Amino acid sequence: MAASVDFKTYVDQACRAAEEFVNIYYETMDKRRRALTRLYLDKATLIWNGNAVSGQEALNEFFEMLPSSEFQVNVLDCQPVHEQATQSQTTVLVVTCGTVKFDGNKQRYFNQNFLLTAQATSNSTVWKIASDCFRFQDWAN
Amino acid sequence: MSPPPPRVCFFPPQCNLNPSPKRTLYFEWWGGSGPPHPPPPPPMGLGPGVGAGGGHIKIVGPLRVFRCLLRGWDSNPGPNGCASSRAAGGAVRERTGSAPRVEPEMKGRAPEVTLSGAEGRSAAMAEESKGGYSEHDDRVGGRGFSGRRKKGRGPFRGKMYSEMNNRNSRNRGGPPNARQRPEEDDGDVAMSDAHDAPRGRYLPYGPRPTRAPHLTVRRDLPPGERSSGAARDGGRRNWFKITIPYGKKYDKTWLLSSIQNLCSVPFTPVEFHYDHNRAQFYVEDASTASALKQVSRKITDRDNYKVVIIINSSAPPQSLQNELKAEEIEQLKVCMSKRYDGSQRALDLKGLRVDPDLVSQSIDVVLNQRSCMMVVLRIIEENIPELQSLNLSSNKLYRLDDLSELAQKAAGLKILDLSRNELKSERELDKVKGLKLEELWLDGNPLCDTFRDQSSYISSVRERFPKLLRLDGHELPPPIAFDVEAPVTLPPCKGSYFGSDDLKVLVLRFLQQYYSIYDSSDRQGLLDAYHDGACCSLSIPFGPQNPPRNTLNEYFKDSRNVKKLKDPTMRFKLLKHTRLNVVAFLNELPRTQHDVSSFVVDVCAQTNTLLCFAVHGIFKEVDGKSRDSVRAFTRMFIAVPAGNTGLCIVNDELFVRNATAEELRRAFVMPAPTPSSSPVPTLAAEQQEMLAAFAMQSGMNLEWSQKCLQDNDWDYGRAGQVFTQLKLEGKIPEVAFLK
Repeated sequence: MAASVDFKTYVDQACRAAEEFVNIYYETMDKRRRALTRLYLDKATLIWNGNAVSGQEALNEFFEMLPSSEFQVNVLDCQPVHEQATQSQTTVLVVTCGTVKFDGNKQRYFNQNFLLTAQATSNSTVWKIASDCFRFQDWAN
Repeated sequence: MSPPPPRVCFFPPQCNLNPSPKRTLYFEWWGGSGPPHPPPPPPMGLGPGVGAGGGHIKIVGPLRVFRCLLRGWDSNPGPNGCASSRAAGGAVRERTGSAPRVEPEMKGRAPEVTLSGAEGRSAAMAEESKGGYSEHDDRVGGRGFSGRRKKGRGPFRGKMYSEMNNRNSRNRGGPPNARQRPEEDDGDVAMSDAHDAPRGRYLPYGPRPTRAPHLTVRRDLPPGERSSGAARDGGRRNWFKITIPYGKKYDKTWLLSSIQNLCSVPFTPVEFHYDHNRAQFYVEDASTASALKQVSRKITDRDNYKVVIIINSSAPPQSLQNELKAEEIEQLKVCMSKRYDGSQRALDLKGLRVDPDLVSQSIDVVLNQRSCMMVVLRIIEENIPELQSLNLSSNKLYRLDDLSELAQKAAGLKILDLSRNELKSERELDKVKGLKLEELWLDGNPLCDTFRDQSSYISSVRERFPKLLRLDGHELPPPIAFDVEAPVTLPPCKGSYFGSDDLKVLVLRFLQQYYSIYDSSDRQGLLDAYHDGACCSLSIPFGPQNPPRNTLNEYFKDSRNVKKLKDPTMRFKLLKHTRLNVVAFLNELPRTQHDVSSFVVDVCAQTNTLLCFAVHGIFKEVDGKSRDSVRAFTRMFIAVPAGNTGLCIVNDELFVRNATAEELRRAFVMPAPTPSSSPVPTLAAEQQEMLAAFAMQSGMNLEWSQKCLQDNDWDYGRAGQVFTQLKLEGKIPEVAFLK
């Protein structure tokens, strides 16, 4: 039973990380876009409606040209990612769904998912986005 | 009643109106000039068994799904279409009955008059009022209202009534009605020269700076007070008005989602609006209303106030009343399409009510009624969202509340003509200031006379539309601009992103295998696809996106939305862990058939030990209560390598929602994969999956894809090899790619 207790700990941790992350991420996205890339790993990748953006500089550029946004998250789910996939680096899969209104555009539904990893620094642990994948539900329209 | 409407066209006649939605796939089989590579193994077996040669099919270029640019007209009356089957006479009575209650410019005064007005009407479900605050139906309630009206605006209204023509010819045979609304009273007269007089009349009611800037029209009189249309309430469900006192201070999305988070049933708020300090909306049945009542005082806002929710039974909300019938909407579409100039992207709705076509068919489109304007906006949104110029002149508009969504529905609108209407206050413009207008026409509205001089007029308008270049036909001084223009264009959306061709082959083959088992009658076979320590969860949306009429009930109990679900035990329980639990869970979900050609895949992350990809697509349920319901899904897979090129799933998150109308139109567009010419009458599920995948990869249509597979004894690899070879030699006719 020890294993399942451990797993529950992972699940709790994943939920806490996901909840906190979603608050911070969308708040930063909407209101402090400039700081957004600080949430990403240096080599993080964003797939935005099929467009791949990789690395801090490209991400900065991408978010700068994205119109200002108002996000509303309605659904959030998360899972601890299996250690075999992450080489034992604590990683959480975060899945969101909600609405977004980009300036000059109509409100649309989106699905987004993230891989978050806990990065241990000298005295603390900071969670960062390793990958981010965003798609409008009506992207084809 | 009326003859079937002719086909409607906003586009030049040479355009094909209804091309069937097509998916065009661009890729080539790997092969180049050399000999074909060895064929892929037959697509059977998962995990470690998947094997030998990956990468023999090289797919060049992105998989793109092009959308159909020209969409056919949809005669669907839309989500509110349910009310459209009413008898015409009833509709007229409703309309006329409702008219006097429209109360522009009265807002600011309402409260002190009204709280006494309808005291006796507290509905059974009304929560006790707090601190002397009465949430009864106040402003428009009952008998007190007409008295108030006389007091407030008697002389003005009286005059208008007496001026009224009897226009029974318009009333679709309805009885002459002395209470016809004043705003509808003219019409046939040439509107262009008929406005000096009204302007004079309105002057005493000129701008009153202390008034609240918004208007709301409500119609929730007790049934007895309304006209006696038997058709009205027959068969209607109960409606309830939900009031949140002081709701004005909350953001709509925050408020609704907070309520939904705590509400035990999903609900669809209808006609959400603010009225004074209140937020109000309607819901349709008693169980929803009582569930909402339970949420009262459960939400605490930022200032630590409890959010009170008050329930009153009510008449159906206005937007569901007075609805044009489906065939009338069709005629309106015809009329609008005639008035649309595609080359200029300009829609001319000047004096729409006296349009000869509409008048001759006794269709009464009164744009100052919310329901009519909503229909017009919906037609614009669904058919000409690219609209750049809109002429609404001479339509007796006295408020712009109903146009507030125009900026969303036609984001590119640059020219708006509101001349010769009844707009009395510049503040009406606030409701449409989201529009990025370059040209605006307002002349012939009472509000124009309220300015001291031209410069205050211009600056008042520019305040709302800073980028305006022309006002009433006059060039304005250039707008003040700094080079900090915020972007408003989004990057173009693309189809699948695989990252590399090898990954594309790997992932597509995996998905084809996975879903052929997933769609079978027994999902036990998926055991091989999952890691021993795999986990899996499911989530569904709620709220407007998931209307109760078309529920995802079968998924509800398993939905793990941790935004809503706070109990750690439940969170843990709903995350299925270990291979057996995961597959047992998947096996319990409704049987499905996935539309493989709808799949769009994003490979989100890839390392030596991990492959993370999202699949978006469409499926339908093939048994159970919701048989044939079409759903859309987004599914996240995280897999680890297994064997040579196989994948073993460690994480699986499935998001399911109802398909949108557009998705329904596109779903399963491929004909049943059994063309009549086929020697094989029916295909096994496995063969169908293979066929869909082959058609997707080759770009050939189903008939030819099937032929190719059959000729090669359903050996996927060999068929691909033959296809590549024949294509290289130019031996495949164009017709094979026609879909």
